Amino acid sequence: MDFYFGMLQIVGLHTILGLSAYIILLTGQVSMAQAGFMSIGAYIAGMLTVLAEMHLIPAMLIGGVAAALVACIVGFPALRVKGLMLVVATIAFGEFIRIFWFNFDYQISRGGVKLGPEGGEGFKQIRFFPENGWSTLDVAIFIWVVAGAVIAAVWWMDRSRAGKVLRAVGEDDLAAQSAGINLTVVKVSAFTAGGFIAGLGGSVYAHYTTHIEHLNFDIVMATFAIIYPILGGLSNVFGTILAVIFVQVFLLEVLRPLGDLRNLLFGAMIIVVMNFMPHGLFSAQVASRIKGVFSGRKEGANA
Amino acid sequence: MIDFIQNTLDGITIGAGYALLAIGFTLIFGVLRRLNLAYGPSIMIGVFLGTFIYLHFDAGWLPVAIATVIGAILAGIYVERMCFWAIKEGAALASMVSTFAIWMQLEELVTVIFPERTYKFPTLGEMDYLEFAGLEMRAEHLIMLGIAVLMVGLLHVLLYRTRFGLSVRAVSENPAAARFMGINTGRVIFRAFILASAIGGVAGFLLVATDPTVTPKFGLQATFKGLIAMMLGGMGSIPGAIAGGVLLGIVERHMQAEFGAIMRDMAAYALLFLFLIFRPGGIMAQGVAAREAAALRRV
Repeated sequence: MDFYFGMLQIVGLHTILGLSAYIILLTGQVSMAQAGFMSIGAYIAGMLTVLAEMHLIPAMLIGGVAAALVACIVGFPALRVKGLMLVVATIAFGEFIRIFWFNFDYQISRGGVKLGPEGGEGFKQIRFFPENGWSTLDVAIFIWVVAGAVIAAVWWMDRSRAGKVLRAVGEDDLAAQSAGINLTVVKVSAFTAGGFIAGLGGSVYAHYTTHIEHLNFDIVMATFAIIYPILGGLSNVFGTILAVIFVQVFLLEVLRPLGDLRNLLFGAMIIVVMNFMPHGLFSAQVASRIKGVFSGRKEGANA
Repeated sequence: MIDFIQNTLDGITIGAGYALLAIGFTLIFGVLRRLNLAYGPSIMIGVFLGTFIYLHFDAGWLPVAIATVIGAILAGIYVERMCFWAIKEGAALASMVSTFAIWMQLEELVTVIFPERTYKFPTLGEMDYLEFAGLEMRAEHLIMLGIAVLMVGLLHVLLYRTRFGLSVRAVSENPAAARFMGINTGRVIFRAFILASAIGGVAGFLLVATDPTVTPKFGLQATFKGLIAMMLGGMGSIPGAIAGGVLLGIVERHMQAEFGAIMRDMAAYALLFLFLIFRPGGIMAQGVAAREAAALRRV
């Protein structure tokens, strides 16, 4: 049974990560720094529960806010670059954060045991869950409470005026600007919100794995974050969730018996999906067939 | 002072290798306007093919170099067919995600076939240090610099003196107009891809031969170095790629000498980030890039 709970935990965590990229993608910006924001949440929340012996929930919120602050600071200069340049700028920033953690040493000794992040060795013993006697099921439920809150918040935001504004900027920022939308505010808020969600996801992730290191937050993780919304399509949050299930459950778990062949097939499956459905599994067309709400939208606008 | 000059000199030679990587990136970006994350990993396939031939047939450096280039070209063709030819124009993100998937495939393929961490790669032979006025330089580095200069010269002739070069430049300038002029853009892209992969193969061979070990992480490094050098110089510009590669080499070298290897990588990323923010067109910012940047500033 634990296997399925573990699965549930992974899907929940990656949903949070995917949605953090989803919000930023709605404004037409591709952020490859999500893994970096996630690492900020992970390290800060981990240090708060381990070193400051804080409860998990305030630590998570602080981790999220810290990641949001950094994301907000990145959001401003990121306004100056677009498209491919933004992809590369955010890759550079994400790697910068990763190398920062690679160098980050802050250890204290408690009862003869050294605690805290130790540079390249990583941050071990983030034992909030086991110390408080949480079972795998409890952790899975907790992750899904957080993920559910994030899904609900993003879904609600998407349906409200804020979502329309984000999408307007994503479709054509010049047109949005001439309609009186303040691009700076919208783009930076999207980055900040995405950073907060990623930080939240990171702080849960740190406690779920109990051991984090800089390599957890490399470009592979960053690409996973944007693969979900792109694979799922940007028409609504359920596309992202569907893509997480497709990748994590179907591609990575169902194909696990294939062993080494798995990653080869994984790549091939993603290419097949992108070839036949460049606008995602749950694209605007599919959504419009289901609901008929998005039928007026221009095809390919999210590409 | 002498250290400073020495480091700069070393930086320039390493930078020559980066410049070649950046030229490959720039060629692909110029004709496609899409990002190829699998560029480094496809070079890595070439490097591992070279290692394979070296280990099994005890080949000298020339057959290894040829195998490296051929491997890189084959992998490049695979990437082009899967991620760029097959995916419609306009879906740039889908292409990028696909190149990432190919990257994972190639890296997995290499780790399955070559399970050990590092492999040996042939050097260009035992060579002495060349000394001049207190400065010294490894002969391999000098050869690397020479080959890089030669490659750039050949590329210049190819791009500015042949019909193929003209069509590549036309597609880079304006793909739609090029198509109206009767240029088969698909074929030009395909050939430009092969050219870029071949240049990448040479760059990969030179970079690995001066530091004769190969790891599966080489693909990631090659992608990052090439990308950074290309962006520093300005996308789509070959002189820019050269300048960016050399700048990256020099900065890395000085940083490593002053603060160690970790600061070297941090400095490279920080430099790239600052450049993208404050000078998005790169060193060679001019024309369209500069105008766009100016327009952005006004907004």
